[in-house]
Amino acid sequence: MANIVSKKLSNHVFTMRDYTKDKKPEELEPFFPNEILRHCIVTCFFIAIEFIAVIVFPLPWKFVNKPDHIPWFFLPIYKLHELIQNDVLFTVLLIFGALLFILWPFYTDGRKCNVPSFDDRHSRYMKKSNNLWQRPILFSIVITVIIFVITLCFINP
Amino acid sequence: MENKGFLREFIENNITRRLIPKGLSWFGCMGGLSLLAFIIQLSTGIFLMFYFIPTTKDALTSIQYVSHSVPYGWLIQRIHAIGPHMMIAMVLSHMLRILFRGIYRHPRELHWISGACLLILTFLMYYTGSKLSVHNGNEHFTVHLIYFYALHVIGIPLAVAFSMGMHFFMVRKTGIYEPL
Repeated sequence: MANIVSKKLSNHVFTMRDYTKDKKPEELEPFFPNEILRHCIVTCFFIAIEFIAVIVFPLPWKFVNKPDHIPWFFLPIYKLHELIQNDVLFTVLLIFGALLFILWPFYTDGRKCNVPSFDDRHSRYMKKSNNLWQRPILFSIVITVIIFVITLCFINP
Repeated sequence: MENKGFLREFIENNITRRLIPKGLSWFGCMGGLSLLAFIIQLSTGIFLMFYFIPTTKDALTSIQYVSHSVPYGWLIQRIHAIGPHMMIAMVLSHMLRILFRGIYRHPRELHWISGACLLILTFLMYYTGSKLSVHNGNEHFTVHLIYFYALHVIGIPLAVAFSMGMHFFMVRKTGIYEPL
């Protein structure tokens, strides 16, 4: 019984995507040690930065005018609340924004761009168009939202 | 012997004999760093749970006790206070990379949804955690404090663990994003 369960687990739950199927050997590299080493180096950097932050923060100067209890990542939301001053409208906007953010892949029509093609040149073109840099309308929407969020941090209502 | 064979096969298939596409970006490690930040928060949070008293009268005193009287308590408390900033920075950069590279598209839509839920849960975790250290002598605040504490130490971490499990499961099934 345990054997059957472990086989089922290894076949369904723990099975990873096999990258060797549609790739040449020269297009592949070993996960161990290459990727493991990459993660170890990045982890060491992260821990070092966290310890520096523990010693240095809070910094004695302020980049923007804000109350001490508001962290940098809540600053746009805090400023938006100050701008709107209507709790119902603010809550509706927040929920609407969160839903738009979560459901982003479903209305950006991604399925067309990832259809594999036998024509390598065509397939590459299709794959490239996945990139936001090459989709001007989506790119302009995202950049506008990012600029709006950053601007919100610096305004004083 | 069977278990040893299964474990050996598991390690060989997933680590030592596994092959991945060449030329993966260093920025692809942001997701792993978010997990690392969460593990740091979890371990320091478990340590602080042994000393924190979730009542309006004792909350601030217990925090001060950890800072001043427990060996290395100040360090663990500082790491737990700085950690969310690092974690949110990592999650945001991970999501921005995925957004700009278009990695959220088919068949990875559910990765984006679970990741976005994880970001919102991380914000909620910070919000509930920040309420625990606020000093307020009001009786009603004690009830709120206990709610916030329960959400911070049990409710939200369970939701995070579930979303994280879904996220990793789907990443394993569809594979990582391959460079052109």
